[in-house]
Amino acid sequence: MGIPDNADDLVKLAIKTGDVYIAAAVHKVAIGSDRKQLESLMFGKRRNALMLARWEHTPASVLQALSNSTDRAVVLRLDKNPNTPSQAMSNLYAEEEDGFKRSLSLTMLIAQHQHTPISILECIAKFDNDIESLIAVSRNPTVNADVLRVLMGRMATSHKFELFKKNVAANPSTTSDLLEEIYSESDAYTRAAVISHANCPRSLIEHAVNDDDVVVMRQLVVDKRLTKDVLARLVLSKDKAVRCSVASNLALTKMLIKQLVRDDSNAVRREIAARADLTAANIKCLMSDSDHWVRMWLARNPIVPRKVLERLSLDQHADVRRAVARNPRCPIGLLKILAKDENSWVRSAVAYQHKSPKRLMLGLAEDTDVDVLSGVANNPHTPQRILQKLTTSPEADIRRGVILNNKARRNTLLPLLEDPYYLHRLMLVDSSKLKEKDKWHLRNDPDFQVRFVVFKWFVNRLNKVIVQ
Amino acid sequence: MKILVAVKQVATLDEDFEIRANGSDVEEDFLLYDLNEWDDFSLEEAMKIKESSDVEIEVVVVSIGPDRVDESLRKCLAKGADRAIRVWDDAIEGSDAIAIGRILAAVAQKEAPDMVFAGVQSSDQAYASTGISTAAYLDWPHAAVVADLQYKPGSGSAVIRRELEGGMLQEVEINCPAVLTIQLGINKPRYASLRGIKQAAAKPIEEVSLADVGLTGADVGADSSMSRVRRMYIPAKGRAQMIEGTIAEQAARLIQIINEFKGA
Repeated sequence: MGIPDNADDLVKLAIKTGDVYIAAAVHKVAIGSDRKQLESLMFGKRRNALMLARWEHTPASVLQALSNSTDRAVVLRLDKNPNTPSQAMSNLYAEEEDGFKRSLSLTMLIAQHQHTPISILECIAKFDNDIESLIAVSRNPTVNADVLRVLMGRMATSHKFELFKKNVAANPSTTSDLLEEIYSESDAYTRAAVISHANCPRSLIEHAVNDDDVVVMRQLVVDKRLTKDVLARLVLSKDKAVRCSVASNLALTKMLIKQLVRDDSNAVRREIAARADLTAANIKCLMSDSDHWVRMWLARNPIVPRKVLERLSLDQHADVRRAVARNPRCPIGLLKILAKDENSWVRSAVAYQHKSPKRLMLGLAEDTDVDVLSGVANNPHTPQRILQKLTTSPEADIRRGVILNNKARRNTLLPLLEDPYYLHRLMLVDSSKLKEKDKWHLRNDPDFQVRFVVFKWFVNRLNKVIVQ
Repeated sequence: MKILVAVKQVATLDEDFEIRANGSDVEEDFLLYDLNEWDDFSLEEAMKIKESSDVEIEVVVVSIGPDRVDESLRKCLAKGADRAIRVWDDAIEGSDAIAIGRILAAVAQKEAPDMVFAGVQSSDQAYASTGISTAAYLDWPHAAVVADLQYKPGSGSAVIRRELEGGMLQEVEINCPAVLTIQLGINKPRYASLRGIKQAAAKPIEEVSLADVGLTGADVGADSSMSRVRRMYIPAKGRAQMIEGTIAEQAARLIQIINEFKGA
C-alpha cells in the first residue's frame, strides 16, 4: 500500500484498521463523518475511553473530544491528565457547574491543572469557598499576579494562610510587591522562598542580610547582588550548607575563593572545584585534595590546563580519570592513554568523548564491555562499518547508541527497523536519515505505541506540507 | 524432552478504578491485561535450557483463562515457545489457586513434561501457591523462589539456589521431574523479534476443555475451592500525611522524620 499523500486518505486508512491508537493519532486532521467514526471507534468501549483519558500521549484533540463525556471516571482522568487542553478544561469546569453535583476534589484538580484558562482560575479564586481549591490555585504556576492578589485578600483569615503564603512565595508568577508583602510576617521557610524567588526585590535582599536564620541565609548567599562585605561575612558561617552556597556564588572574590579552597567541608571544596574562575594557585591546591570528588570536579572543569589533566589522568581513583576523559578540553594524546585504562568506566568515557578520533574508535570497537561499546555506538567519529556491526549486538544499549548517533546513515539504520525492542523502532520514526517509505514500513508494527507514533509522524508531515 | 511453563495473564490497575457492584472484584473496564512479570522469567529460563541443549527440547506454555488470554500466550510463542495450550470452561470461574493447581497438574499429566516452571507469584493476586499446589497434585518435588538453576536436560536431578531472607541463598539438589517457581532476576528476559511475533500470529493455540484433561466442572470453580473471595475494598486511609510547605521546609521535615525513625 502506498503512503497516503493527504489527510483524508490517512484518516480513511486509520478507520479501516479499527485500531484505537491509530485513530487517536490521526484524530486531529479528521473532519465531519470521518471524525465521528474515529470517535466512535475510540470511545465506543468504556475501557478504551478510560485508557485514552489517562494515557500520557493522548493527543489534545482526543482529550478535547472526551471532555464532553458524562462518565465521572473519564472526567476524573481528564482532570488529572497534564495534556488536557485549555478548552477541554473549560468544558470540564462548565460541566461541573451545570451537570454534576459540584465535586470539591474535581474543582481542586481543575484549579491545579496547568492548562486551566486564567479566567477559570480567577473565577475559582473569587467565588469558590473550598480552601483546598484556593490553595491549589495559589500553587498553579500559570496563575497571574492579579489572581494571586485576589486570593491574598480572601485567604488572610484562613487557617491555611501560612501554607498559602508559602505557595505564593514559590510561585514564579508572584510579583515583587506581593513578595514584599508576605516577607515580613512569615516564618523562616517562607522568607527563604521569597529570597530565592527570581522576582525578589533588592530591598528584601538588603533586609535579609541581617536575618540570622540559617534557612534564609542558605538561599540568600547565592544571590549575585550581595556585596563583597556580606559574602566575606557569610564565608565564615558555621553552617556548611551556607558556605557551600557561597562557594557557588558567581560574585565571589579571588580572596574568598582562596579561603574556601581550604574549607573543612568536602562539599564546599567540591563546589569550588567546579568554578570557572579558579587561579593557578587554587588549581594546584585542589589537585592534591584528599577528597577524590574534589579532584573529580576539578578534572571535569574545562579551565584546567593540560599539565593538570595529565597529572589527574594518573589518579588512583577511576572516577577522577574518567572525569579527565569527559573534560571537553582533554587533549587527544591523553584520550589515547585513557583508552587503554584498566577500568572500563574510564574507557567508556573516552568512547563517548566527541573529540576522540576515528583511529581511537577503531581500537575501542574491539572492547567487550557494554558501556565502552555503547560509547563507540554513540560517537560521531565511529566509521559506518563499525556502526553496522554494532546494530547486530545482543545488547539493547549498544544498538540504541547507533540510533542516537547523528552520523549513522540510512543503510546502517535500516536493519534496526526490525529491532526486537519496541522503543528502538519508535525512536527511528523520528530519524531524519530514514525515508518516508522506511517509516511507513512500521505502520503495522505489533506494538501499539510504534503504530501510534508512525501515524502521528505522518499527520505532522502532512500538516507541514499544508503550511508550506 | 519437554518443559511445561505455566503462565498467567494478570490484571493491572491505574490509581483510579471502581469496584464491581457486588464487591467481588474491580470493574472489568478498569483492568488492563498483560503477561505476569514472573512468567517472563520462567519462560526465559526454559528457553535458555532449550537453546543450550544438544537434545531436542520442546517448550510448552499453558494458561488457564478465557479467549483474551490468547494474547499473552502468543507473546510466549513469539519469544520461542513451541506450543501453547489454553484451558477454559465457564465452570473454572471462581477457582482459587489450589483448584488452578489441580487443572495445571492434569495438563502436566497429559503432557508428561520433564520439568514444570511457574512464576513465584502472580502480580495481581499474589497467592504464590499455584506452582506449589501443582506439585502437590502431581506428587512431584518442588522448590519455590528459585534464583538460579543448573540443570542438564535428561538428568535425574537439578541444583537450584533459592532466595531467602537477609540476602541469603540456599543451594538445594532436587530430584527431577520437579516443579520450580522462578524468581524475578534469575535471567534477562528477551524481547520477541518481529519475525517471531509474525510467526506466532499464525501458530495455533490448543484450546483444551476440562474433559480433555480428565476433569469435570465439579473439580473446579468456587464450590471446589478451599478459599473464596468475600469482598475487595480499599481500606480507610492510615497515618499517611502530606508534607506541606516550601521545598526547603519539606526537605527539613523529611530529614526530621528519617532521624526520628533512626532514633537519632
